[in-house]
Amino acid sequence: MYLVEINKIPGFQQWRDGARVCLQANLPPTEVLWRSPDNTVELSLFDSPATLQPSLQTADDIRVSPAFIRLAETAACHQDPERFALLYRILWRLIHENKQLLQFKTDDDILRLERIVHAVRRDAYKITAFLRFREIRDEQGPHFVAWYEPEHYTLEMVLPFFQTRFCNMRWAILTPYRAAHWDGNEISLADNPDPALYPAEDAVETYWLQYYSSIFNPARIKEKAMLTQMPKKYWKNLPEAHLIPNLLRDANGCVHKMVEQSQSGSK
Amino acid sequence: MQDELARKLSILADAAKYDASCASGNAGKRAAEKGGKGIGSLTGGTGICHSFTPDGRCISLLKILMTNYCIYDCQYCINRISSNVPRARFKEQEVIDLTLNFYRRNYIEGLFLSSGIIQSPDYTMSALIRIVKSLRQDHDFRGYIHLKTIPNASPALQEEAGWYADRLSINVELPTQQSLNVYAPEKNLCEITGTMNRLNEKISETLEERKNKLRFTPGGQSTQMIVGADSTSDKGILTTSVGLYSKYKLRRVYYSAFSPIPDASTILPARPAPLLREHRLYQADWLLRFYEFQLNDIVAGTKDDMLDLNLDPKLAWALRNRHLFPVDLNRAERHLLLKVPGLGVRSVDKIIQIRRYHQLSWFDLMKLRVTLDKVRPFVSVADYAPKSSLLEHVQLQDLLVKPRQLNLFQAV
Repeated sequence: MYLVEINKIPGFQQWRDGARVCLQANLPPTEVLWRSPDNTVELSLFDSPATLQPSLQTADDIRVSPAFIRLAETAACHQDPERFALLYRILWRLIHENKQLLQFKTDDDILRLERIVHAVRRDAYKITAFLRFREIRDEQGPHFVAWYEPEHYTLEMVLPFFQTRFCNMRWAILTPYRAAHWDGNEISLADNPDPALYPAEDAVETYWLQYYSSIFNPARIKEKAMLTQMPKKYWKNLPEAHLIPNLLRDANGCVHKMVEQSQSGSK
Repeated sequence: MQDELARKLSILADAAKYDASCASGNAGKRAAEKGGKGIGSLTGGTGICHSFTPDGRCISLLKILMTNYCIYDCQYCINRISSNVPRARFKEQEVIDLTLNFYRRNYIEGLFLSSGIIQSPDYTMSALIRIVKSLRQDHDFRGYIHLKTIPNASPALQEEAGWYADRLSINVELPTQQSLNVYAPEKNLCEITGTMNRLNEKISETLEERKNKLRFTPGGQSTQMIVGADSTSDKGILTTSVGLYSKYKLRRVYYSAFSPIPDASTILPARPAPLLREHRLYQADWLLRFYEFQLNDIVAGTKDDMLDLNLDPKLAWALRNRHLFPVDLNRAERHLLLKVPGLGVRSVDKIIQIRRYHQLSWFDLMKLRVTLDKVRPFVSVADYAPKSSLLEHVQLQDLLVKPRQLNLFQAV
């Protein structure tokens, strides 16, 4: 039994290095343990595993499709503690079993990989959608700060999006595991930021809440459709979500009034 | 002063909500330049939905009217001149500031600006253009802009708008001229489609051309029809849609179930049209655009030219065409796979990928999370074929569709 240690989340680079060494040593997936901060393997169960020394040999002989590398890079951001083992198992099978494996859309490993990748992409997409900046002013001018709690390790994935869109703003995105700061020129990362850095209020937010309440049509409630796209787990950090219970409560009354008015012909 | 802005926002967002469109995608990619004054980007994909309201709709754009004062008297419209709703008008700078302030906080992808018609169509259109032009030129705003074209505004103004907007739309509102005559006497279908036609020609002419780094209406045109305010059948509505898609290359036709508005005109139905009808029209629209259905497939054999509310239109078609089933998922061509009830475009493409490598089995369908009960009568795979009695079953429909309870507002 061999142990590969991943200590920097999300960990794709370390997984890749580890996988290369394991492949060179010709270690089947059942012989490798992947340990990461979210997967503290109980070592007592095993005979003290050996740690592999990175080989200096180049790995030119190991070739695998770029499509898999892209999927693996995304999957590595998932919080599933077994992701690294899954990725190594698929890599092993791609090389030793069938290089078309990714096309087998109903293979159990491929299904699981696709679900993990899908979950990560959705999580990253939701950051770009649901993150809300609040503005503060410091000596350098306006600064936009957001607090967001992604389900997976997806902060790094979305940084290019924010860098592009808000390139001429100074901003910071704080998540429970890491923060990203953009000064208009470059990104800097810092682990475990203090959530108290998120401003408690923002002058424009009241208008946003006003807009949210006004754009909603009480005559066509579709609560389920809303919840599919914006489940309650996201509500905590969405300022407008706190309005939802009241909007729903008042909606029926509103519509009854409109229908009654038009039936009685009152104008 | 601040409260005044909030008051305007509440009136002018409220007035804008009857426009269903909130699309902000497929207009290409672009981004502000680092070190400049600009802000914003288009990701090239389908656009981002930044929030969802309890009516199930997304908020992607700041959707507002510049003003809800209007000289027209369209009966279905909350802003018609004869309505008693409170009125407001934004200053041009207020619209610009709201857009930028919302955008910086990541609330929106951009602006969807429309307006009631004040003084004259050209006066109104010019004011709208000044707003979007300032966003683009003074603020180098690279986010999405959807601009409502004012009917009867001069062609030169409509064209100018196309250089600042990612999408232009002009609402047909009602599917036939007869209905417009009754409900929207100032509106003329020919003038509306004439505008669409001119813009469509301009879009194809200027496909590669750029002005100030902006392309001419890269997100194309869309329109909206109100469903259930007049008596037009679903066949009539879909016929109009097919014409709009094919003649003017519209990107989207939106259907909006007539819903009661405050201070409604007495010639309108008092009750809302069923949301389910709107849903069926969208399903039919999808079948036309992505599932290789023809209009006639969908409407032939329907009762009174109306889509069945109890059945989705694909299943309804399959039940009328049982002789075409079961479809062999290991052999059938893509266009036939697309016609199987219960198979979406994504499942179809996965099936095609899988069967290149091995015979598809029932277990594969399970793993693809296909709705097995729905496909069961219509497909055969390596280890499964439906009993012929199942497909011939007179009550097949009842086996497939659970009875639905209508609630108070799904008026029949």
